[in-house]
Amino acid sequence: MIAIDQLRYVRLGTHDLSGAVDFAERVLGLQLVNRGENTAYFRSDMRDRTLVFFLGEATESAVGFEIHGRAQFDAAIAELSQHGIEAAIGTEQACAARNVRALASFRDPDGNMIELVLRPLNSGWRPFPARDAGIVGLQGVALRSRNVPACEALWTTLFNGRVSDWAGEAAFLRFDQAHHRLAYYPSAGRGILSIDFGVENVDLLMRNKYFLQSAQVKIVHGPGRRPTSNQIFLTFASPDETLFSFVTEGDDIADETTHRPRQFPRTGSSFCAWGSESDIREFC
Amino acid sequence: MINLLDVSYVRLGTRDLEGATRFAVDYLGLEISEHGKATICFKSDAREYTLCYFEGNPADQAVAFEVRDKEDLDAAASELERIGHAVRSGTDGEAAARHVKGFIAFKDPSGNGIELVYRPAHSGKRYRGSRDAGITGFSHVGLCSTDVTRDERFWTRVCNARVSDRIGDAPLLRIDEVHHSIALFPSDSTGIQHINHQVETGGDVMRSYHFLTEKSVPITFGPGRHPSSSARFLYFKGPDGMVFEYSSGVKSIADELLYRERQFPFDHAGFCHWGAKPKIQQFGN
Repeated sequence: MIAIDQLRYVRLGTHDLSGAVDFAERVLGLQLVNRGENTAYFRSDMRDRTLVFFLGEATESAVGFEIHGRAQFDAAIAELSQHGIEAAIGTEQACAARNVRALASFRDPDGNMIELVLRPLNSGWRPFPARDAGIVGLQGVALRSRNVPACEALWTTLFNGRVSDWAGEAAFLRFDQAHHRLAYYPSAGRGILSIDFGVENVDLLMRNKYFLQSAQVKIVHGPGRRPTSNQIFLTFASPDETLFSFVTEGDDIADETTHRPRQFPRTGSSFCAWGSESDIREFC
Repeated sequence: MINLLDVSYVRLGTRDLEGATRFAVDYLGLEISEHGKATICFKSDAREYTLCYFEGNPADQAVAFEVRDKEDLDAAASELERIGHAVRSGTDGEAAARHVKGFIAFKDPSGNGIELVYRPAHSGKRYRGSRDAGITGFSHVGLCSTDVTRDERFWTRVCNARVSDRIGDAPLLRIDEVHHSIALFPSDSTGIQHINHQVETGGDVMRSYHFLTEKSVPITFGPGRHPSSSARFLYFKGPDGMVFEYSSGVKSIADELLYRERQFPFDHAGFCHWGAKPKIQQFGN
């Protein structure tokens, strides 16, 4: 079994890097760490980066997970190979671009790109973004899939992922104490559906709501509370139509031995306990 | 007795409002809360503002303390007049400019400008500096004193301050559980001797030390640690020669009944137990 140490970053392909940078700094409230010709990356916590934009196709977007230790990293590649998944080993250049010691990438059963990394960089300084959105860090990623059960099986059999809950077929997977770090939503397409950044508290979440409204950002869901994770959320769309959420509160899975995943129905009320509605097909 | 609840703000005259503002924002790390034509207010915590620079004589300075209500303010005015202080009541316009409901102004026995205010404004917005100095709020002032024994009597007998410690004859005075909100230092002149802002951690003190050094801001004392309040500190010089201090980890005095003030020597060891030597006249240089 391959142990994921933690969710590290999301890489998003865009055709408008300037627009993406503006969105990440001004709207999301992340701190720009470095902007190159083709990439820009941002931090939200003590990690060197948690969000990367690159000039390219959305199909090349990826979610990065850290594997702890060289031996485990090599074992992970071997184990994937045994199960017929040939991970592409990252070149020195690709590793340097991500500030990691080693990189292996593969696609989940529906073709979403996953990157496994070794010793990703942390920063010695606390983040200080230009806008005071109160962000405390990257919390989770949701992927679209046309075959959620197959994707779920990959993470729960080859990896140390555990299902925390289901809402219809949508599966919420955890790798640490948090209710979920990765979620799969049944969809007509594939790719990154949404990215969650934690904010300090509900006051900050609501301050962000009014800020986003005044900045004419399209809010697509919330403010609401997820019955599954108990997180308060506010979901909005980037210019590329990737969804971002600010989240706060939420339950940890305190006891691994006693927690049993719950099945919620596939209705709007399973995605918001406060009654907020959404036009996003995956949420209704 | 005049019951001081908190130290509210400092007002400083300056001939160079633009320069003072640049210092307050870019170096000190405060946030502009109000940008007037001749006055600029700065925020350092949840209060509406805690520092105000106005166009005027740099010798024109005042520090304000909060009292409970109008009744306490009127009682303070009578008491001060009774013992021979000239008291001026602030006009409505002046009170509005200060974001307080009402205030009086007078001079302490050394001649320092003091204001007593009631209902100073808090703001709904949290403080956000333009640089990450880690400031948690305006915390205390040092005042120049031409006779520290006389002035200690004023602050502790006429007002409710208690002596937390003494460095030589310089008393560090508390009005709540914080080790000191007022410190009196022997001096030939009058005026505010330093202005303190608390920062989150000792790391923030050190980060500012390197930041300010790089910006060629004169560091006048520290980084060091006060044996009295146990706070880590850094003193540096701002506009018009005003000394600013960052400190972190100031002791709080929870037990008023059991606490007894201590006597520290008026030399560098009394001010710093790390061995930093002050380049501040009132600290014995």
